[in-house]
Amino acid sequence: MSWNRVAVVGAGLIKFGELFEQSYEQMASGAFEAAVASVDKGFEPSAVEAAIVATQRGTLWGQEGIGGNTVPTALGLAGIPCTRVENACPSGSDAFRIGAMAVASGVHDVVLVIGVEKMRDKSSQEGLLARAAAGHPLYNRGETAPVLFAPYATRHMHEFGTTPEMLASVAVKNHHNGCLDPYAHFQNEITIEQVLASPPVCRPLRLLDCCPQTDGAAAMILTTPDRAALYTDKPVFVAGFGVATDHPYLHEKTSFVGLPATVAAAGRAFDMAGLGPADMDMAEVHDCFTITEILDVEDLGFFDKGKGGPATLEGETALDGRIPVNPSGGLLAKGHPIGATGVAQLTECYWQLREEAGDRQVAIRSGNALQHNVGGRGSGVSVVNILTRNP
Amino acid sequence: MTTGIALLSAGFGVPSLRVGVEEIAAAWGGGGRGQVAVCDADEDSLTLAWQAASDALVAAGIDAGALSGLWWGTARPPMAEGPSHAFLATALGLEPETGGALFSGSPHAGMEALVAAWDAIAAGHASVALVVASDALLPGIGTATETECGAGAAALVLSASTAAAAPARLVARATVSMPVIDRYRGDRQEATAEVYDGRLFREEVFLPLLTQVGENLKEAAPAAGVASVARWAASDPDGKLGSGLVRRLGGELSSATVRSALGDTGCAAPLLGLVAALESASSGDPGSASTNDPPASDESDSSPLGVGLIGYGGGRASAVAVEVTGPVPGTYGFGEKLALGRRVGYVESLNVRGQLQPMTDPIPMGVPPGSAAFVRGNVEMLRLEGAKCSACGTVSVPPSIHPTCTGCGGTELKVVALARSGRVQTFVVNQTMPAPFQAPLPLVVIDLDDGARLMLQGSPADSEQLSIDTPVELKLRRYAVERGVPVYGYKAFATSSRSTSGPGDLSASDQGSGATVNGSARRSGKLGATAK
Repeated sequence: MSWNRVAVVGAGLIKFGELFEQSYEQMASGAFEAAVASVDKGFEPSAVEAAIVATQRGTLWGQEGIGGNTVPTALGLAGIPCTRVENACPSGSDAFRIGAMAVASGVHDVVLVIGVEKMRDKSSQEGLLARAAAGHPLYNRGETAPVLFAPYATRHMHEFGTTPEMLASVAVKNHHNGCLDPYAHFQNEITIEQVLASPPVCRPLRLLDCCPQTDGAAAMILTTPDRAALYTDKPVFVAGFGVATDHPYLHEKTSFVGLPATVAAAGRAFDMAGLGPADMDMAEVHDCFTITEILDVEDLGFFDKGKGGPATLEGETALDGRIPVNPSGGLLAKGHPIGATGVAQLTECYWQLREEAGDRQVAIRSGNALQHNVGGRGSGVSVVNILTRNP
Repeated sequence: MTTGIALLSAGFGVPSLRVGVEEIAAAWGGGGRGQVAVCDADEDSLTLAWQAASDALVAAGIDAGALSGLWWGTARPPMAEGPSHAFLATALGLEPETGGALFSGSPHAGMEALVAAWDAIAAGHASVALVVASDALLPGIGTATETECGAGAAALVLSASTAAAAPARLVARATVSMPVIDRYRGDRQEATAEVYDGRLFREEVFLPLLTQVGENLKEAAPAAGVASVARWAASDPDGKLGSGLVRRLGGELSSATVRSALGDTGCAAPLLGLVAALESASSGDPGSASTNDPPASDESDSSPLGVGLIGYGGGRASAVAVEVTGPVPGTYGFGEKLALGRRVGYVESLNVRGQLQPMTDPIPMGVPPGSAAFVRGNVEMLRLEGAKCSACGTVSVPPSIHPTCTGCGGTELKVVALARSGRVQTFVVNQTMPAPFQAPLPLVVIDLDDGARLMLQGSPADSEQLSIDTPVELKLRRYAVERGVPVYGYKAFATSSRSTSGPGDLSASDQGSGATVNGSARRSGKLGATAK
């Protein structure tokens, strides 16, 4: 039996992109308004009892000292309990898990989970540079985000024959899906040839193998299953979740073809949900780089280790494939406003399970959707959430 | 009275890059011939000294822990007032309690280091001394020194041993001093400039002083057992002074090859000239595989060869006579190394020397070099240490941030020095990097020969040839200049085969030996919770 002690009754986000004209506070407010407006039977903003905020890169991106109070005061909810969560790229999905635990504990009946990230208030070069200069003076100096994954691509190609075309097919698929998602940062079709011809970033990854730096915000409203009927007749339940950690330095890895944090987090989520990979109708996974999606679909159990590349190239993860992956366009096309990403992936799962995803709707047969992030130093943090429409 | 001192081995450090004199001069409307050596962006006087000294220790078969001290001469220490000596000594693996000194102030400092080490041994205060002379001169842009200043390093291991088996001995010396200004860098100046008239310097300072000290040495040599000084290894600021000197003293200028390949190497010039003389003295079959084992000589030298080092700088000239009776380990392959080096243009040379930098704000390192994190981390970074688990054998790097084993979570950890060679497990080449980083920037996950795994920056010159299983060796380089302070660490270089082709696009990154430096004796004292 799935855990199902928390229900989601509302979800919304703002369009992702380079939102130079919007402040952090305005983005947060936009996402909150969208979530409130999405509630089928109406929602009074003051019903929010507590909030969990996910913002990952406050200090590096110029947002100093984002604490628990920045968001509630921007939303007109000054005074409510609020905590900012930071857990690397899975910050948003972890905020969701913590918000769910807050509801399940009985301490709060209505919890707002909101992810907000302002990445473009600094130049994209500065953002890249800050990452490369942070950390240990020697042992990860120069370690930009693509450096966390490119060595895995090299090793995956070496051990399994994964090709640059297979990597590129991830980007092609996700850009196609992004065209169907009105909130996506990029809404343009691309081809494998274009990916392979794009400027090299970090061998073997090229520009179109990499997600962009994006501003964005997304919000969800959680409550108990008993109270869900006040807000909607089609709630979506939290079937289970899992979190796992792994060593932060690349030189501490024992394998470069998979991410142990993902494997462990998924295992815990599936156990808690009483479900397995075959029970999922779709998955929103962490595709910060094309190789990462290939690792993810193997680590999450959708394909055998080494088979993720051919499976993607052959369309098994397309909208009409055996297991649609990243129908929203993924981080590659929808964007990766870090703290908002996990929450946005969960809103996609919410809409898909309610069959409100429009042109990018996937077939819902089992009624379950998986959401996954992995990231941090050494890809050492992973969070998996499983949503279900089955009570 | 001075007694003879044994010379056990030598080592050398040659920078990676070369610039044509013609290219430099053309930027200012002039002409010229020849080339000078330029340090790459991650090389400096200290990293060159490290290379030379590491190789000399390996060639002598001596562990750094056995050294009495480090005597280092450089006209430009990387930190004008700072821990230059402590950094180099730590990186070489010397015990913290060892002695020695840093000599600076002019290109004469290399000779001062040599003589001071000799004095320490003769006085009984030292038994085995490491002498290093290195320089990476920084000439004033658009001055004549720009077509003369180069870079390089040489190291010698000296010992009190009076055993007849020593292949060479320091036997005599002379010195003279005259208060004149020639090359000059004031306390607040960045670059060195020539303040003298070239002909005045030649006729009134260099030739008279060095001829005097050379003659004094020739007079003293026979009494010390050297019939004649046949070869001279001399300072040679403009590339013509050396041959002028040798015309007066008689004999051969063994440092000519060094001067024409590298330019003026400052403090290192006389010692590098000695290395050239020692290599050519041990002539024989060049088929030897290792650069540290000179080929067996097929001549039987009945009389010892006398080599005279003469160094000049800051109005002082000193000479040391070396009696050579056999091949000196560590000198073989020097000529071959001189012929390598990557040619760059004038603009790139200015960039790597830090004289032409983008006017963008650099983002600072996560922790500044003066912070407690560096006090905790300096030794483990400079000596390349890891924490080895007594339970499962996993090595966690670096020790100070690993209170528990990354393999099994155990707490019984012992600090060990890591191997200096291994193979590529996987890697990445950054091809887009914002300043102060420069692309291409490889990062390499290395499986070291001792089983430890490490990720270090690689050499940009290796970007195209890196692949899984490529063998690599580790060398000390300058990772960054952070808020004005250099930060040193190890980088991985593909171990390429020795080549005898000429200058061109071959990288000099394979200079020196590939052998491991034994960092033997462990530090006692507090190392934090990881040391058990």
